[in-house]
Amino acid sequence: MIFALVALVAIFGAPGTSHAQEDDERTVRARINNRVAGENEPVEGVTVTISTGGEELDSAETDENGQVEFTVQGRRDYTLTVDRDTLPDGIDIEEGEETNTITAASFTSSSISRTFVTGESLVTETPFIDELAQRLVNGTRFGLLIAISSVGLSLVFGTTRLTNFAHAEMVTFGGVVAFVFNVTGLSFLGWLPFADERGRFPLIAAGVITVLLGGLFGLALNGSIFGPLRRRGYSLVTLMVISVGLSIALKNLFLHRFLSRRRPYADYARQSAMEFGPITITARDLIVTIISFVVLVAVALSLQRTRIGKATRAVSDNIALASATGINSEQIIRIVWFAGGALAALGGIFNAVDEQVSFEMGAQLLFVMFAGITLGGLGSAFGALLGGFLVGMFVELATFVVPSELKNAPALVVLILVLLVRPQGILGRAERVG
Amino acid sequence: MNWISIIENTVKAFVGINAVYFALAAIGLNVQFGYAGLLNFGQAAFMACGAYGLGMTSQYFQINMWWGVLIGLGFSLVLALLLGVPTLRLRADYLAIVTIAAAEIIRLVVRSVRFNEYFNGSDGINEFSGPFREIGNDLIAPAARNYGPSWTVPGIDWTIDVEFTGRQVWTLIIGWALVLVCGAFVFLVMRSPWGRVLKGIREDENAVASLGKNVFGYKMSSLIIGGMIGTFAGMMLALDRGSVQPDNYSRDVTFFILTALVLGGLASVTGSIVGPMVFWAVFQFTDVVLREAIGGQAISIGNIRVMDTTQIGPTNQIMIGMLLILLMVYRPQGLFGNRKEMAIDAR
Repeated sequence: MIFALVALVAIFGAPGTSHAQEDDERTVRARINNRVAGENEPVEGVTVTISTGGEELDSAETDENGQVEFTVQGRRDYTLTVDRDTLPDGIDIEEGEETNTITAASFTSSSISRTFVTGESLVTETPFIDELAQRLVNGTRFGLLIAISSVGLSLVFGTTRLTNFAHAEMVTFGGVVAFVFNVTGLSFLGWLPFADERGRFPLIAAGVITVLLGGLFGLALNGSIFGPLRRRGYSLVTLMVISVGLSIALKNLFLHRFLSRRRPYADYARQSAMEFGPITITARDLIVTIISFVVLVAVALSLQRTRIGKATRAVSDNIALASATGINSEQIIRIVWFAGGALAALGGIFNAVDEQVSFEMGAQLLFVMFAGITLGGLGSAFGALLGGFLVGMFVELATFVVPSELKNAPALVVLILVLLVRPQGILGRAERVG
Repeated sequence: MNWISIIENTVKAFVGINAVYFALAAIGLNVQFGYAGLLNFGQAAFMACGAYGLGMTSQYFQINMWWGVLIGLGFSLVLALLLGVPTLRLRADYLAIVTIAAAEIIRLVVRSVRFNEYFNGSDGINEFSGPFREIGNDLIAPAARNYGPSWTVPGIDWTIDVEFTGRQVWTLIIGWALVLVCGAFVFLVMRSPWGRVLKGIREDENAVASLGKNVFGYKMSSLIIGGMIGTFAGMMLALDRGSVQPDNYSRDVTFFILTALVLGGLASVTGSIVGPMVFWAVFQFTDVVLREAIGGQAISIGNIRVMDTTQIGPTNQIMIGMLLILLMVYRPQGLFGNRKEMAIDAR
């Protein structure tokens, strides 16, 4: 039920005497009505206070008719205030409507009346523990998203020492390219399986193609820009500034193609939530969370168990030593760019499924990802997974106190605290850096 | 194609207010990045300090605007300490990460509804610049008149007017004066022993530390000085527009300033002033040329729309990104820098 608060002015009592003086006695009545299904019911036992010029004059409780009456001296500005805390359970008054000011000029007779209308409380108090459970679920989804998106950022740093500011655009790439396959369609691909005649793919097929393209995109960035420049001995700061230039160019390329609208995918855009006890989650978010978790475990296992994974960790640790043991470090770097690009694209798709596609979706996540990999330990692969998850979870839990506009702000707090307390991160090794 | 309007716009951009505030911000960034090797990717946040210092005098403090100069400088001092203390002892990229994050958060905070009382959210602050404009009115009045040189190109029938309103002229005079003062200050300070130590830190931090210099202190003061000069940039922008808008201080602004600085030449005062002028002249030139070229029509290749009026901005910015990449790869010293000084490396 919508709160309808109408301040009704009713004139009670006899018409004012014509020789009314400024200081004569006046009656101010307040009435509290609870509106249920169009009917007004008086509300009893609510404290109403009358004040003038900030000074409290009197207060009283409403009677069985929902009325309270004050006698005041003279025509002045009076303010009536309903004490919210004394309203019965399940009844509330709209924010800002619990006060009502009577101006001196409105005293046209010896008495004046104001009506407050309350309504059924919309704010149902969710128990803290239920709220927490819901946020833990949201946090798991967001944490896993940040974790898989930022693996590439951390691994590229680990193997080449490059802080790649264009990583944000690799995430956006995923969201945007999947949109092209899913919604825009590429008509020359109409003959492929799963595609319709305009070359549009279902989101799952589009996603698989996009993840592969994301990997190739990473490879292309390494092959065309960062690889050759690194081999020519460009300094890391120069490469970092180049990644900034790349980020500007790519972001605006997406803007150029895509404009500044937010757009949803054709599939899974609207879903009704399922309820599990206190937790509500859409099937889509549940599946995204499960896939993210599986991917995360797969990445962790392959780093731990496979030859390539071990070689990657070796190159991250010490590239010279790794090369000396016969590891082809350039090959490993290419694999890292491919895998990082593919995972970033997957993260981009998952983010866009939830929040729609926009040209700056990656840029908005960039420093959450930075906070994650810094917390985990810059360059450490497991660190990116762990740190990304923790920061994502923290950001989601912080919404208890942080307004949604500033949702990502707590990540900065994490970032600064980590740098002050343990700059090498949780899993990083301490080294002297200055 | 209207070449007269293209030339007029380009010349105005070369000396206009955008070049002024970019130059101030670039001079500041140069102290940090060019001379000390500190990657401050949050110069927009320092600019916001200046702008909101002025704006809050009317929005929140209810005091004379001129106090805002001190308030703005105070904000940026606090910001520099907040950013510098956790990061300046660490590798160079940590500062970059923290500054880029902080600048974004500051923008989100000032535009959020929660802090409307202080910053007036995404509406920004509009009523504070009165005292500044009144002085301009008294000196250059009447504000309604236009000022500026006018040339007639011999041979062809072209008259080129570079005109600014009285109010703009007043802002430009103060702005360019500030640019010259700050430029001269940086020029002198970098020739002092202090400046030589700073450049030493950029080249080899450990060597400087082994001479007993307090490297952290030098870096910190460079961050503060550069940030404060950037604060003036924010003030000039706010005074020119007569308003403070949160989205004028976005990440992209920092990146464009960086591009303008690299274009002019790192570790060169001339470069940090001329770079922004050339940057804006080129930006404005391509913008007007693209606008004239499509003439309100959309250009398509096949069924792909390559250029309509809403795509001109992004196109221009793609070119800025490419310009930054190409400069760093092929001409890292920019127009006026010294290639030998560009041996910056991460530590």
